[in-house]
Amino acid sequence: MTLLRVFGAAVAAVTLALAVPARARAQERDSIPGVTLGLVYETLFTPALAIRPFGGRFGGETSANPVEAIVARDLRNSDRFQVMDSLPPAMTGERIDYPLWDRLGAVWLLTGQVEAQGDRSTLLLELHDVVYGRLKESGRFPLPNPEAPDFRMAVHRASDEVVRWIAGEPGMAASRIAFSMVAPGTQNKELYLIDADGENLHRLTNHASIVLSPAWSPDGSRLAFSSYKTGVPRIYIREMATGSERMVSERAFQTGDHMTPAWAPDGVTLAFAVTSGERSGIFTYNVQRNCCLTHLTGGRWNDISPAYAPDGRTLAFNSNRLGTGQPQVYVMPAGGGDPDLISPYAYDRPGYFTAPDWSPVGDLVAFHGAIRRGTYHILVARIEDRGRRVRQLTWEGNNEDPSWAPDGRHIVFKGERRWGKGLFVVDVATGVTRTILTGVDITVPEWSPALPAR
Amino acid sequence: MSARRATIVALAIVLAVAACKKDPPPPPAPTGPTTAEIERARQDSVARVTRSRDDSVTAANAARDRAATAERDRLAASQRGLRTTIEAMVHFDYDEADITADAERVLREKADILRANPDVRMRIQGHADERGSTEYNLALSSRRADAVKQFFAGFGLDASRFETTSFGEERPLVNRSDEAAWAQNRRAEFVVTGGGANLRPER
Repeated sequence: MTLLRVFGAAVAAVTLALAVPARARAQERDSIPGVTLGLVYETLFTPALAIRPFGGRFGGETSANPVEAIVARDLRNSDRFQVMDSLPPAMTGERIDYPLWDRLGAVWLLTGQVEAQGDRSTLLLELHDVVYGRLKESGRFPLPNPEAPDFRMAVHRASDEVVRWIAGEPGMAASRIAFSMVAPGTQNKELYLIDADGENLHRLTNHASIVLSPAWSPDGSRLAFSSYKTGVPRIYIREMATGSERMVSERAFQTGDHMTPAWAPDGVTLAFAVTSGERSGIFTYNVQRNCCLTHLTGGRWNDISPAYAPDGRTLAFNSNRLGTGQPQVYVMPAGGGDPDLISPYAYDRPGYFTAPDWSPVGDLVAFHGAIRRGTYHILVARIEDRGRRVRQLTWEGNNEDPSWAPDGRHIVFKGERRWGKGLFVVDVATGVTRTILTGVDITVPEWSPALPAR
Repeated sequence: MSARRATIVALAIVLAVAACKKDPPPPPAPTGPTTAEIERARQDSVARVTRSRDDSVTAANAARDRAATAERDRLAASQRGLRTTIEAMVHFDYDEADITADAERVLREKADILRANPDVRMRIQGHADERGSTEYNLALSSRRADAVKQFFAGFGLDASRFETTSFGEERPLVNRSDEAAWAQNRRAEFVVTGGGANLRPER
């Protein structure tokens, strides 16, 4: 897997050195012996992918251009290709002229054709291997008309299929990001949704309160979150299709503050943290049968922010059991048991590491933090490294609350730069960062799984 | 001398004669106030007296009201003072949930009033500044609220009188990003949730 190769390369990583030499000494003093913070990326081959101008029309005479534009942007955002699009219509023809595309430098060629069938249409995509001069894959994707609300998502699904044809890995175009943001003109924080490509921003909740910590169910059909709607934080579940919501945590607990829900891969077990109550810590609860409350971990300290591994057998969480103001990231068996530290730690030199999120495709946990307090960066650790080695993905400003994309390659996070705040995405393989939404003060972004057609 | 005596005698005779007459002439028409005028004067006088009595009653009432108001104000001021004291917020150091010396002074005053008013129940709301993670700050602010609750319990107050809620960095007091604002925002707030109607001063 690509990411593991990237980590292999990181073994040879240069010991942390910031670009400013004057700060290097201070940095070294504050670093932890035996812990390497590396910024070395494997030289990834990024093949050129040409998109031949899409042909055909929708029933309403709309051209195929919008579809081509969406696909091109999705493939560009995947950070896996050098996309060549917006080519002249003269490049289209009955047959594929492989030598021509080869001369242009294309390794892959994608063609698209929209076929109108009354109200619905079909997108025919063909992927050609230019080097070998042959058709590699093709597929038909049903599309609603371009004005329909689910039009873009339908095209995104086609884009993700192209990624799977070439890379054999899931894409992330057909997904959304939920996050919390101050509702304009109020002091309230509500949940918002935005498509992974930065389009279609809209508000989800209307609690006139504080709504935090959205967590997608494994099939993307439900969203768990915490809300102060009743005055104290409680866990709710929202059915995305109908918009109906129900409070789930008070059946399990009448006291304390309930926060930071996370779905187990089984889609019925919800882990969440309780603080300030008669009992505190991380609990699991079966939200389908409203039963089976289990205390996983907790005590005099705070254990919060659970995040399941994709196999559901272990979970990462955040705890300050080493001391006040020194949160660390741990992993433990999903049924409870001894936790292992996976964030960097050395006695008497504790860092601040928090907000873990487990990669959907591998044994990687992203979190944010710093060995020296003040500025936070997005970090990624491999479970088996047990905190001895972490990769730092951001190097500018302040960066918090990472959440993995369904492709296991991108991470969305809350970023803060001198010019403003916003929703950022970093490509873990290349370190390339882009913005999705700027000029807004967002928090706790949570990337959905791949969203299937309804 | 004789002439003068003669005059007096003559006058006496005249008067004597006059006194002996049976039908004196009618008295001259009276020149004093008419009946209507007298009645009006009587009414005026009554009105004056009534007004004067009313004035004095009003004055007396006003004086009594003033005294009562002053007493109420004094009590209210004292209630407000007590209320202000038990609702005064306390602040924390960066990333800490320990009770500082300043906070301890404020909490001791609260504890005295709370001991004299065993019916008072409170919600302690913990807050954090914006630095650090959103979710971890919820835990931090929860610890701050718990630290205050534990402090009260350490003073012999029944811990079940206090509920705690953590707000993390979500409800800043000062909406700026500098040291002064952060110091203000790291705090615990106190809301009386019951038994706060008639606070007795501490003993």
